[in-house]
Amino acid sequence: MKFLCIPCDTQMETQTDGIMPSDSKNLALKFKCKKCGHSIAMLTNKFETEFVSKIGVEIGGGSEESKSPFNMVGNTLSQAKEILNKDQPAEKKELVWTDEAKERIQRVPFFVRNMAKKTVISYAQEHGATVIDAKLMDEVRDKVGM
Amino acid sequence: MKTYNDLAGDGGSNFVGQVTSQLEKLRTRLDKIKHKIALMSGKGGVGKSSLTANIAGCLADRGYKVGILDLDLNGPSIGKLLSVPNDVKLNVDNDGVHAGEGANGIKIMSMDMLLPTADTPVMWTHKSGETASWVSMLENTAIRELIADTYWGELDYLLLDMPPGSDRIDNIKELIPELAGVIEITIPSSISQHIVAKSITKNNTVGVPIIGLIENMGGYACPSCNAEHPLFSGQDVEELCRQKEVDYLGKIPFDPRISEKTGNGKLFYSEHKDSPAAKAIDVSADKILNFTKSNS
Ligand SMILES: Nc1ncnc2c1ncn2[C@@H]1O[C@H](COP(=O)(O)OP(=O)(O)OP(=O)(O)O)[C@@H](O)[C@H]1O
Ligand SMILES: [Mg+2]
Ligand SMILES: [Zn+2]
Repeated sequence: MKFLCIPCDTQMETQTDGIMPSDSKNLALKFKCKKCGHSIAMLTNKFETEFVSKIGVEIGGGSEESKSPFNMVGNTLSQAKEILNKDQPAEKKELVWTDEAKERIQRVPFFVRNMAKKTVISYAQEHGATVIDAKLMDEVRDKVGM
Repeated sequence: MKTYNDLAGDGGSNFVGQVTSQLEKLRTRLDKIKHKIALMSGKGGVGKSSLTANIAGCLADRGYKVGILDLDLNGPSIGKLLSVPNDVKLNVDNDGVHAGEGANGIKIMSMDMLLPTADTPVMWTHKSGETASWVSMLENTAIRELIADTYWGELDYLLLDMPPGSDRIDNIKELIPELAGVIEITIPSSISQHIVAKSITKNNTVGVPIIGLIENMGGYACPSCNAEHPLFSGQDVEELCRQKEVDYLGKIPFDPRISEKTGNGKLFYSEHKDSPAAKAIDVSADKILNFTKSNS
């Protein structure tokens, strides 16, 4: 899957923030032309999302989390031993996720979950929030328009 | 206008790089294991897990380093069979998630070890209504992670305890192209043989080597007169082997002690070495060893 900006004849780049799916499977992936700045969104429904995910890799590039063992299993099972759940990146310890927020981020398909997480974290930091709860996640979604 | 091939890369996701690094990880892991063998059956409940555990016990007793990967994600039973409790502490470090150690020093990895309590089911979501294709995609990813991220150390044999059915073998063949082969297990009933025959045909079609067929529960020694009686009626399993041109790896009789807990956490095989069933397991193990030796 590649996206081309026709006027510039240039490949568009995957935007790794601004992902905040409202429902676990309706996705919006953003791509931007570096030359003219134009951006587009690819919108998929549940079935199309499943199709995109078949490849088993992360959109926007592999993250640090994706290198940890049993990454998908540990973070996708509805219940798994604590040690497998790398829900919060170590350096972001000062941010607290409420249980509801954790559950919501866990519902995001694993191959875009880290992008969604980054989006939420940077929004929280910009707004000086220390607790990530459902309300903040709603705000993020309103802001990024998805 | 540029075409797909004119565009270098994929706009920042680096799919090729991600897939390559996944494959490298898998390769490094698999290179430390000499022989990989899958135990399967088209049919459920024929003794795949019990035989996997006891054959592993037999190989371990002979001095081989053995591991079992429980690929029955939804019905894991290897932990129970080898006395690795579900609340075993997981050791996770840069090498990966360390395999547990069960009876006879056998290394194991199983979904049971990852779940917080013994009765936690394997569920991939908090909500109902997941599509079958989504769950199947997650299971494929889970199997890749279990194979690529489990730290076994060096192993002579890794036995894969497969879920019932033949559908996962394509997946395994893709992840472990050097798979030594599969061992098919059937009971003598005609329905089981009917299904296992299909499973053999499928393996031949997709190019998975078949080490042979084990006949499990192939008779019962009467406790009062010691005479052996058949438990199931059906075509002779050796006849099926001849028709399908696969090796007959032996007949394991029914022994109620196979399903009993030994109490001291030992395997049936080690606890009752002189029983006809344990001796039959020895015979099968010999044939498996011969196969791997002559094919490597
Ligand atoms: N030779 C045997 N004698 C007596 N009991 C046996 C024998 N082999 C297996 N069993 C018993 O039969 C039952 C089913 O065995 P097991 O769970 O090993 O089968 P399986 O093929 O792995 O099943 P599944 O398809 O669910 O994975 C168990 O209770 C086991 O103890
Ligand atoms: Mg089983
Ligand atoms: Zn442009």
